Amino acid sequence: MKRILSSLILTILLIVAGVNAQNNSTRKNGSAPPKAGISLTLPNKEGNVRFLVIGDTGTGTDKQEQLSQIMLRYRQTFPYEFALMLGDNMYGSEKAADYKEKFENVYRSLLDQKVKFYAALGNHDESNQRFYEFFNMEGQEYYRFTKGNVSFYSLNSNYMDKKQVDWLNDKLATDRSTWKIAYFHHPPYSSGGAHGSDTKLRQIVEPIFIKYGVNVVFAGHEHFYERIKPQKGIYYFISGSGGKLRKGDVKQGSPLTAKAYDADMSFMLVEVDDNQMHFQVISRTGETVDSGVIVHQRQSSKAASNSQ
Amino acid sequence: MRSKQLIAIVCVISAWIGIAQSQTPAPPPLSPTDKQTAEAFEKRAKTYSKMREALEEKMPKLSKEAKPEEIQAHKTQFQERVRNARLSAKRGDVFTPDAMTLIRKIIKDEFKGRERVEFRDTVLREAENKAVPLRVNYPYPESQELMEMPPTLLLRLPQLPKQLRYRFVRNNLLLVDRENGLIVDYMTNALP
Repeated sequence: MKRILSSLILTILLIVAGVNAQNNSTRKNGSAPPKAGISLTLPNKEGNVRFLVIGDTGTGTDKQEQLSQIMLRYRQTFPYEFALMLGDNMYGSEKAADYKEKFENVYRSLLDQKVKFYAALGNHDESNQRFYEFFNMEGQEYYRFTKGNVSFYSLNSNYMDKKQVDWLNDKLATDRSTWKIAYFHHPPYSSGGAHGSDTKLRQIVEPIFIKYGVNVVFAGHEHFYERIKPQKGIYYFISGSGGKLRKGDVKQGSPLTAKAYDADMSFMLVEVDDNQMHFQVISRTGETVDSGVIVHQRQSSKAASNSQ
Repeated sequence: MRSKQLIAIVCVISAWIGIAQSQTPAPPPLSPTDKQTAEAFEKRAKTYSKMREALEEKMPKLSKEAKPEEIQAHKTQFQERVRNARLSAKRGDVFTPDAMTLIRKIIKDEFKGRERVEFRDTVLREAENKAVPLRVNYPYPESQELMEMPPTLLLRLPQLPKQLRYRFVRNNLLLVDRENGLIVDYMTNALP
C-alpha cells in the first residue's frame, strides 16, 4: 500500500516538474539560440554532487565538438567535477589515433580542467577501452564508484552475463549510500522507433534495481533525449545524442514519455543534494530542453506516511 | 467488514506483485544429458582460456591507466601470439555437433513468437556487423558492431570463462576473445 501511495505522490511530483519543464521549453523554443551566456536552472551549491551525462559520443564530428563547447561554457558557472559516459564511446575503428580524434581532442579543455570521465561500454566499444587512462574504468567492464552520498554503478549492458549479475547483486546488497544511480548503454525503457525498450535486459536488471532501491538509471543507445515516466518507482533517462542524432525518432504519443527531445544533440547536467536530484538538459544550440527535480524515493515515501 | 476484506486482498496482491517484481527470473534447468554436453563445452572453452592466459602472462601487463598506443600495441602482440599458438585451430574445435544441437535448442526455446521475429530482424537486418569474416583464428574487425547478447539467453547458454564472449553475426554464433579480438570458433544456423 505504501509503495502504491508513494508511487502516486512521486508521479504527481514529476508531472508538476514536467509541466514546469514543458513551460520552459515552450517559452524558449520561440527564441533564437543563445550565442553566448548560459541559463542555469540547477541550485549549483558547493558540496553537492555535480556531474555531466553524455552518451553515444564517439564520432569526432564537428557537431560533437560544438556540443562539447556548450558543456565547457556551462562548466564556467556550474563546475561539475566528473562525467558519466553512457557507451558508444568510439564508433568505427579503435586505433590509437581514434582515441585522440573521437575523444581526447573533443574534450581536451574538460580534461585539462581535470574533469574525470567514467565510461560504460556500448555495442560499438571494444572491451580494451577499460584500460584507457581517461575512462577511469580501473580495468573493469563494470564497476562502482562513490561521490558524496551517491553510489554510481557503471554496467556493461552489452554483455550482462551471470558474473555481472552476481556482482551487481553483491555490491547493491551492502550499499548504504543514500542515492544509487546505475548507468549503462541499452535503455530498459524507450520510445525510440529504431530500437525501443530493451525488454530482455529489463527482465534481468529491473528486479535487482527494485530489490535494492536503485533510484535513477541513465542509458544511451537511442540517439535522442528522453525522460521516462517513473517505472515501478525508478526514474529512467536516455541521453544518447552526444555525438549522433536520430532526428524525429521518438514515437509521438508514447505512454512512456514524460519529456523527449530529438531535434538536436544534447547532454545532461545533474546535481544531487541530500534528498533531491536536479537535472537540466541542454541542446547543441545551448537551449534548455528539459529540467526538473526528483525527490528521493525514501524521503517521498516518508512524506507519504506522515501525511496519512 | 467488506471494506476490510477488500483492503486485505489488495495488500496480498500488492505484496505478491512486489515479490514477483523483485525477482530475476531463473533459467530452466537442463536435462542430465544436456548438462553433460554443456559441461564438456565449458571444458573446451576453458582449455582455450588457459592457453591464452599462459601466453598473456608472458607479456608486459597492460596498465589500468594505459595510453591508446599501449592498448593498440598490446592487442596486436597478443593477437599474434595466440594466432601462432593456434595455427591448427579449425571450426568445430569448441562447437562440437552435440554442443551446437544443444545451443540451437536453448536459443529456439528462449525466443518464441513475436520475440523470435524481432530478434531475427535485429540480427539479420539492424546489426552493423555484416562485414565480419567468418574465419577461425582471425580477428573480429574492430570497426564492426559487437551486438548486444540478450541477457536472458546468456544466463541459459553454457557459461564461458571471462575472456570469452558469445557474439551473433548474421545467422551464426561466434566465440570471440574479448582482449585480442580473435574468433576462437563459430557455429552456423544459430538463429531460431
